[in-house]
Amino acid sequence: MDNKILKFSLNGELKEVIVSPSDMLVDVLRDKLNLTGTKKGCGKGECGACTVIMNGEAVNSCLVPAMKAMDAEVETIEGIGSPERLHPLQETFMDLGAIQCGFCTPGMIMSSKALLDKNPNPGKKEVREAISGNICRCTGYVKIEEAVLAASGKYKTKR
Amino acid sequence: MKAYNVVGHSVRRLDALEKATGTGTFASDYSLPGMLYAKVLRSPHAHAKIISIDTSQAEKLPGVKAVATYKNTPRVKFNTSATMTFTVPAMEPVLDQYLFDNVVRYVGDEVAAVAATSEKIAAAALELIKVEYELLPAVFDPLKAMEADAPVIHDGCKEGKNIPGDIVKIPYGDVEKGLAESDVVIDETFKLPVQKQVQMETQAAVARVSNDGKITVWSSTQTPHPSRMILAHVFSVPISKVRVLNPPYVGGGFGVRIGLSAKAEPIAVALAMKAKKPVKLVYDRKEDFIASDTRHAGYVSVKLGAKKDGTFHAMDLKGILNAGAYCSFSCETPGVLGAMGLAVYRIPNQHYYGHSVYTNTTPAGAMRGFGNPQAMFAIESAVDMMAEKLGFDPLQLRLKNIMQAGDPWCLPYPCSSSGLAECMEKGAASIGWERRGSLNRPGAKILRGIGVGVGTHVSNAWPFCVDYDNAYITVQQDGSVLLASGVPDIGTGTSTTLPQLAAEALGVNFDQVSLTFGDTETTPFDIGSHASRTLYAAGTAVVAAANDARKQILAYAGEYLEVAPEKLELNDSIIYVTGQDECDARKVHLKDLAYHAHLRNKQFIGVGRIVPENAPPWHAHFAEVEVNTDTGQVKVAKLTAAHDVGRAVNPVIVEGQIEGGVLQGIGYALSEEIKYNEKGKQLNDSIHKYMLLTAEDVPEVDAIIVEANDRSGPFGAKGVGETGLVPTAGAIANAVYNATGIRFKEIPITEEKMYRALHEKA
Repeated sequence: MDNKILKFSLNGELKEVIVSPSDMLVDVLRDKLNLTGTKKGCGKGECGACTVIMNGEAVNSCLVPAMKAMDAEVETIEGIGSPERLHPLQETFMDLGAIQCGFCTPGMIMSSKALLDKNPNPGKKEVREAISGNICRCTGYVKIEEAVLAASGKYKTKR
Repeated sequence: MKAYNVVGHSVRRLDALEKATGTGTFASDYSLPGMLYAKVLRSPHAHAKIISIDTSQAEKLPGVKAVATYKNTPRVKFNTSATMTFTVPAMEPVLDQYLFDNVVRYVGDEVAAVAATSEKIAAAALELIKVEYELLPAVFDPLKAMEADAPVIHDGCKEGKNIPGDIVKIPYGDVEKGLAESDVVIDETFKLPVQKQVQMETQAAVARVSNDGKITVWSSTQTPHPSRMILAHVFSVPISKVRVLNPPYVGGGFGVRIGLSAKAEPIAVALAMKAKKPVKLVYDRKEDFIASDTRHAGYVSVKLGAKKDGTFHAMDLKGILNAGAYCSFSCETPGVLGAMGLAVYRIPNQHYYGHSVYTNTTPAGAMRGFGNPQAMFAIESAVDMMAEKLGFDPLQLRLKNIMQAGDPWCLPYPCSSSGLAECMEKGAASIGWERRGSLNRPGAKILRGIGVGVGTHVSNAWPFCVDYDNAYITVQQDGSVLLASGVPDIGTGTSTTLPQLAAEALGVNFDQVSLTFGDTETTPFDIGSHASRTLYAAGTAVVAAANDARKQILAYAGEYLEVAPEKLELNDSIIYVTGQDECDARKVHLKDLAYHAHLRNKQFIGVGRIVPENAPPWHAHFAEVEVNTDTGQVKVAKLTAAHDVGRAVNPVIVEGQIEGGVLQGIGYALSEEIKYNEKGKQLNDSIHKYMLLTAEDVPEVDAIIVEANDRSGPFGAKGVGETGLVPTAGAIANAVYNATGIRFKEIPITEEKMYRALHEKA
């Protein structure tokens, strides 16, 4: 197979990685770069667990052929905050009980971040729309919605 | 009420930080050096005999390291569910499957598995395996599967054609006489769908077999210790040579991982043994749909008799469930259906008869609620029909007949507490029950209605199944505390609430407690996370261990402070004399005491060993629905869920359990269903096709916590894990009837069914 070199910016750092043309971005992140924070729940773009932000848009990384990320800016859950300096969404998800099993959490937070990056003060409707592609089977979405709305209150567009 | 330092407080979950920052690991994230990847070949046929299987081409594919079939794996019968480890004598667990067999019994049944250096190579190798099948007749409906000309799916059914295990019969009073004495009898049969857990992480396992034969499996199971017992049985090795652990998080469970995760563990082990390398097996979503246990579909019949004054007098309940192709929990589920169905109302004459029937569909096993949602959809629908016939308000009819604490009932433990009446009162106020009946203007396109459903459940599996628990507390040399409990945290918050109980019972600060969990090597035996038991049963063991450690600490402190131990208290990690004033010097910090003890060759080690009692949680759900008469769409506008949980050890976690359960209950009532085509192939084998609810479908949810403390539970707590979806479908179906006058005896109430019913009515 014709392996290729993928160059892209990952969480603000330039990465070069050898990929096969059939690799999906989720597999490159998880298997080649060992960033397992991005989860894989269906491999078909139906559950949103693999959501990352690419060039400012929330995408299902299981549907993105790796080479499509060439020269792109990709953000994953590992890149948006650290225990010392958490992203407001990470704080409100923790404080308001929006995390149960935690498998959907990274994707939920990334979809929500993509929303807040563009619209720091969304209403309930916008929040629901932004996370409608992210399935959570534990929480019933109630506390997730609360957490996103609460984070929007704390949100500063330039972090 | 006594004020507690930690219990009753919504402390932040201890697993939250790792999960929010992406560093929390799950079985599917796990990898080991030299690890291989496995894929499973599954049957395309609903029922067939394997005439020949040729794996030679697959074995030759570069990168393939092992191929497993029925020919080269253990011929040991087992049951993938944990029932094979906790069935109470004289009942016997049904062991009806092999790792691989030469007969396949449903579309998706395991035929072979390959381990290779990549998942892609393993998948390519599957296509090189040549299998020749002889098709056998198949049957998909449980009633048809009992007929004389139906195919035999398993030999050895002693109670009747294709009936696994024993028929459950629960007699109580004289039901025949009771029904004859009743003034009004409702006699109805209800049909229940196949629901799927759709936990977010698919079934997954990573297995390593070391050169000395020790088996280690990183698993997504919700019952590590029983899973270990099953693996030891399948591979004929001592239990002590098997270690099962979560790594440490599990991406949801809802019952589907009680035991083995749809054989992912033993298949990975078998391949690891052959390849002499670690093997990872992660099912894709379709495999998870078609090959891991579902909720039981089936039929529930209710004969409910009442006197004219509204007193319930008799109930005859019957459940016939679809077991699917293998037994799994198909003996226990009809039992819980009956036991819980008979426990909600004070009815002097009752009877239950129930069992499952094998069919050639995906095996049915445990799913949150475990038979109880099936029972309560039927019973709560029948109770509303009774209210209408008697001219009673449905809420008042229920309040008149609900079980009260201390009432006799059919269950083998006392009805020790009930906050059901309070749940109903608070729930009615939240939904605005008084508005019922005046919600619709004539000619309105959107019809509104309000309905109620109630129920109970268990707080662990004893005495229906083996259920005991153990915990260790070791006080470290600096006074911090290490707690060991074998339960996993499948998302329900166990890894936070058990440390809360330990901190409170011991008298130390919450931030001093650390927990090791979900690992058979570092924890004593525990049955696992099922039956709404972790907080109640594992929690009782934790409190017992804390009490034991506390006693040792106070005895040692007594000598140290020269005060009788019974005069000492331990609070905020400080040991002091009860009632002493501030300048009294007779106190010592646990940190100093523990180190003092360490220098004298002593550690405080608390052991908790308990057999739990049982206690009934109670719940009342109120639904307000809107039915669009143009499209047939049923929308839940508001769902109030009032739950008596005994005590909410962490209220935010309790609310989360209720809210999540409620949404699964709404899905059960309105959209979720797996159907099969005429060849036994699942038609709804993906998240989209299955019609899972999304954030845009969520109604206003009001989770109300009621705390009727139960003397048997830790700090009065009872179970809550499963209860959120027990009465939901009944409440919604009753609201739909209130809105439209159409009584659905089958769920889900899809747009299509409603549209058709509205047109038939018009």
